[in-house]
Amino acid sequence: METPAILAFGFYFLVIVVGCFMAVGCASLVRALVGLVATLLGVAGMYLLLNAPFMAFMQILIYIGAICVLIFFALMLARADADGDEADPAPAARTFKGVLAAMLPGALLAPILLLHPTASHLLPPDVPLADLGRRLMEDYVLPFELISVVLLISMAGAVLLVWERRDK
Amino acid sequence: MKPLVLYQLASLVLLGAGLAGLVKRRTLVGMLIAVELMLNGAGLSIVAATQLTGADAALGQLATLLVMGLAAAEATVTLAAIVVVFRRFGSTRTDALTTLREQP
Repeated sequence: METPAILAFGFYFLVIVVGCFMAVGCASLVRALVGLVATLLGVAGMYLLLNAPFMAFMQILIYIGAICVLIFFALMLARADADGDEADPAPAARTFKGVLAAMLPGALLAPILLLHPTASHLLPPDVPLADLGRRLMEDYVLPFELISVVLLISMAGAVLLVWERRDK
Repeated sequence: MKPLVLYQLASLVLLGAGLAGLVKRRTLVGMLIAVELMLNGAGLSIVAATQLTGADAALGQLATLLVMGLAAAEATVTLAAIVVVFRRFGSTRTDALTTLREQP
């Protein structure tokens, strides 16, 4: 990779790591959500570096614009402030288990990645947006329609779950 | 180090952080945040693997788009489930979600 690309990658990686620590470690859930947003922005930057600007904008639109706002609504039900539900420090055993859970896939997968690196291109190819749209309408029309059905069902299910009957 | 390995390591960091959060968090919302981290790592890994090898790049982007759609559906249903749990138990802490055991 060129030097500017390495610098940009390092910056985005730093944003992701700091965001991850905030999202997992902060006692206040609002700060954890801010950490999640930072992580998602870092990943969007990596999509830009991978020459996939459409994915970067979809990441910002769907994840930050929709999912994080949804989580923020859910946050209003939790006691999210700094001395709320997550405030009392977790038992040491639980923190240890969390670190173990983080280390396990790292210990399993990182050696494989580092010892047997896959041959990779230096420059990612250009994928025109029209190509993506054409594939979505021709080759992969079934998954495209199915995902809309899944979204419709999940929306209807969410409304049904929180529906309150008047006559109760 | 090869570029693909760097991106795969970044997604490995996301996976590890998500697992750690899933174990450590004690509220449903915190666990939802951790799950989103892991799903994002999966998406980054798919796009990196198809953009930087000879694989079909458009297919990788569309697959990640599918993951994003599923993540949105999952977040919607989880939000509704959290609302139901809050109405029933008065809290979204995971240790409050018991009906057989006597409440601590």
